[in-house]
Amino acid sequence: MSLANAVKLDLRTKIAVKNLSFFYGDSIALKSVNMPVYTNKVTALIGPSGCGKSTLLRVMNRMYDLYPRQRAEGEVLLDGENILDAKQDLNLLRARVGMVFQKPTPFPMSIYENIAFGIRLYEKLPKIELDGRVETALKGAALWEEVRDKLNASGLSLSGGQQQRLCIARTVAIQPEVILFDEPASALDPISTAKVEELIDELKANYTIVIVTHNMQQAARVSEYTAFMYLGELVEFGGTSHMFTSPDQQQTQNYITGRFG
Amino acid sequence: MLSFKKLEHFRTQNRYPLLLKMLSPLEKSGAKAKDESGSANSIGAFTALKYHDRLWFGGEFLVQALEQMTLADIAMESGRVAYISAGQRARVLRSFKFRDASFHGLTLAAALAVLILLGGVIVSLFIGALPAIKAFGFGFLVTESWNPVTNRFGAMAPVYGTLITSAIAMLVAVPIGLGIAVFLTELCPPKLRRPLGIAIELLAGIPSIIYGIWGLFVFAPFLQQYVQPTLIGAFGSIPGLSMLFAGPPYGIGILTAGIVLAIMVLPYISSISRDVFEAVPPVLKEAAYGVGCTTSEVVRKVVIPYARAGVVGGVMLALGRALGETMAVTFVIGNAHRISGSLFAPGTTISATIANEFTEAVGDLYTSSLIELGLILFVITFIVLAAARYMLMRIERKAQV
Amino acid sequence: MRGMKIYEARRHRNKIAVVLYYSAAVFGITWLVLILFTLLREGVGGLSLSVFTQNTPPPGSAGGLLNAIVGSLIMTGLGVAFGTPIGLLAGTYLAEYGRGTYLAATVRFINDILLSAPSIIVGLFVYEIMVAPMGHFSGIAGAVALAVIVVPVVVRTTEDMLRLVPGGLREAGTALGMPRVLVISRVAYRAAKAGLITGMLLAVARISGETAPLLFTALNNQFFNANLNEPMPSLSVVIYQFALSPYRDWQKLAWAGALLITFAVLALSIVARLLGSRKVAQ
Repeated sequence: MSLANAVKLDLRTKIAVKNLSFFYGDSIALKSVNMPVYTNKVTALIGPSGCGKSTLLRVMNRMYDLYPRQRAEGEVLLDGENILDAKQDLNLLRARVGMVFQKPTPFPMSIYENIAFGIRLYEKLPKIELDGRVETALKGAALWEEVRDKLNASGLSLSGGQQQRLCIARTVAIQPEVILFDEPASALDPISTAKVEELIDELKANYTIVIVTHNMQQAARVSEYTAFMYLGELVEFGGTSHMFTSPDQQQTQNYITGRFG
Repeated sequence: MLSFKKLEHFRTQNRYPLLLKMLSPLEKSGAKAKDESGSANSIGAFTALKYHDRLWFGGEFLVQALEQMTLADIAMESGRVAYISAGQRARVLRSFKFRDASFHGLTLAAALAVLILLGGVIVSLFIGALPAIKAFGFGFLVTESWNPVTNRFGAMAPVYGTLITSAIAMLVAVPIGLGIAVFLTELCPPKLRRPLGIAIELLAGIPSIIYGIWGLFVFAPFLQQYVQPTLIGAFGSIPGLSMLFAGPPYGIGILTAGIVLAIMVLPYISSISRDVFEAVPPVLKEAAYGVGCTTSEVVRKVVIPYARAGVVGGVMLALGRALGETMAVTFVIGNAHRISGSLFAPGTTISATIANEFTEAVGDLYTSSLIELGLILFVITFIVLAAARYMLMRIERKAQV
Repeated sequence: MRGMKIYEARRHRNKIAVVLYYSAAVFGITWLVLILFTLLREGVGGLSLSVFTQNTPPPGSAGGLLNAIVGSLIMTGLGVAFGTPIGLLAGTYLAEYGRGTYLAATVRFINDILLSAPSIIVGLFVYEIMVAPMGHFSGIAGAVALAVIVVPVVVRTTEDMLRLVPGGLREAGTALGMPRVLVISRVAYRAAKAGLITGMLLAVARISGETAPLLFTALNNQFFNANLNEPMPSLSVVIYQFALSPYRDWQKLAWAGALLITFAVLALSIVARLLGSRKVAQ
């Protein structure tokens, strides 16, 4: 997409992936990927298992740094700043680029603490203000009504769908700029899934969102832009409606119509 | 209260999007800002007025840490701590780095301490044993005599005792322990399964001195009165076996020590084997039963082969314990420094010798010989453990192929 | 039918095998029950109030085990206090920072060896590094010997328990911008809390019955002693000494002490089990 086009569409690039290659030890998982992620839009990454979409997501907050023998080459610019740079402060990066995981991962502490904990990492707030932030976050994740009377209960006591929304609230609470969703609904039932999707739709007003999903209907429902990946390569990137109705690449067409993957 | 002038400053520097992002929470909260004339205006109004027509910026632009700082300052000034200042944030990040590095260093030091501990054990034993090593050399290993009066010491009797008691223990405990494990996983009525399993596990934790005094006060007299005379009667006249069961029935001796050791390691073997048997995927067993296998066939063809590595590991662990065990043995072995063909004869083991004589040892050579015995025991257990590891590795590698 | 014959033979073999399994179980369990029964009978016979109020008696007279009980408590407590932090930190290194490194693999192997090292060797080691240089036996040397036994136990359980903490939980913490030290101390430790406490309790259970490492470190003491710089009595060493003595009174006390130790160890193991059944939250 040309700059002129982007300008016309009122698009600002939040993350620019440039010539990104990724390696697990000796095997290559991403081959020179180029794509933008636009501010305040939902971008979906789709493709068959092992195509590299989760890998790409995990590069965006450098989660791969936790594991030895994994490395990335190329550039990933967050607001123009290369996050793959060795000087990048990872804790700060992750505070700016939040992540929600496939399985709900509440910490083994109370619902309140699950959220307050992340806030307190970077901010020193008086109790009353912290309470407010926790409440706002829980409301933002559409969970407040369900948990307001049991904020001291363990986060693990919630149902799977509630746990996932708690994790979203936790991520939102520290006010990141970007939120990465790694198949956030794949472990949830249809009703919880609908709630999470609704939430994503609301969140895009304030956040830039990238979502990895296996479910193509989900990609079509929640995203404005879609990237189709296959075997570590970005096959096609474009507006979601365009991708799902008249993709430029035959491969994309085949995948979307269910001919492989 | 923040001034519009400052906001204007950012505007002229083309930093709208970030500015807007920073402002939006303030806007929602209804925070006010001073305009040029000094009167307060809502930030919302300000942004609407000044920026909404130029909202898009397009393309990519750089955001420097500097910007973050100034923008965060705005938030601070507005009286609501929406974001902490970059200065504060940098301090937090620095403290994270420091704490991370120091905790990493601390754990690393502890890990190294484990290495040093073992190194220390080996070095200190070696230094302690040096006088004996110098005095007796390799002959220490093949000398049976143990005479504090003439200062002649040899390790053969205790080494022999250690190996033979452990061998007896393994011969008795391995089949019975595996039998218990099979019983617990395949045959036991479900109601009894858990309580029995727990009981066995708890028994594995009972201090060995308990087995020792039971052996001394209960088991040895029992053997002496009932079992040993029968064995002597039965085998005493058969050539070959008569040697094993020769001599008067003392009650205490090599055989007694071996059996007490067996009873002591029994819970180990059965609880570890039970754990690994239970880890066999039920589907495998069901498949075998499904083609008409009997219980014993399922055990021999599916359960044991599948659990082999774990069982070997458990047995080796038990062997390691038997070799080094002090208290269960010292009470019942008789403490005699000689090698006898008969299983009824009193003998000694390395650990029993050390336990009995160390505090009373007079003279450097005596003490040093006891420490050399300890060194030998350590080497033996080390070899057993390393062999166990090696076998496990081979089995695992085979399983992978 | 020809197959029937084979089947009959197989069924026959199976019957024999099952009988063998049953008899192994009955035989093995009988011994263990017998031991507990004897312990209970003899131990309860020897128990009385004076066991807890009087010190160990001279040969041939009545007395109690007070000094030995106190000595055991002191040395066990100190042993755990010295050994647990080192074990916890080293286990943390293995499970968190050192994952996949050669150093961690080496430390793990060495730790396994320490875990199975005969406890009497630990006694010799501490004799060499503490008792011999100091010139006398002491309670502190006994505590150090016990700590040397605690370390590998805690390293092992800490590593195992931290490994059970799902990686997703760590990633989630990291994704919030938490530095590693907080991910470990606030998230992983918390998730594995029950398991870590279990490990510590098991270590206490393990050392509270140890005799061999105390024989020539803390030695024994006929009198009440809370001075760590002097020889200190312990239940297990007193049992050892009294059981091997010819005096009936001493033997009775040995049985009573054995019962006490067994009870303590069983209680600790049961509490550890109850906690451990929840090993890791989630």
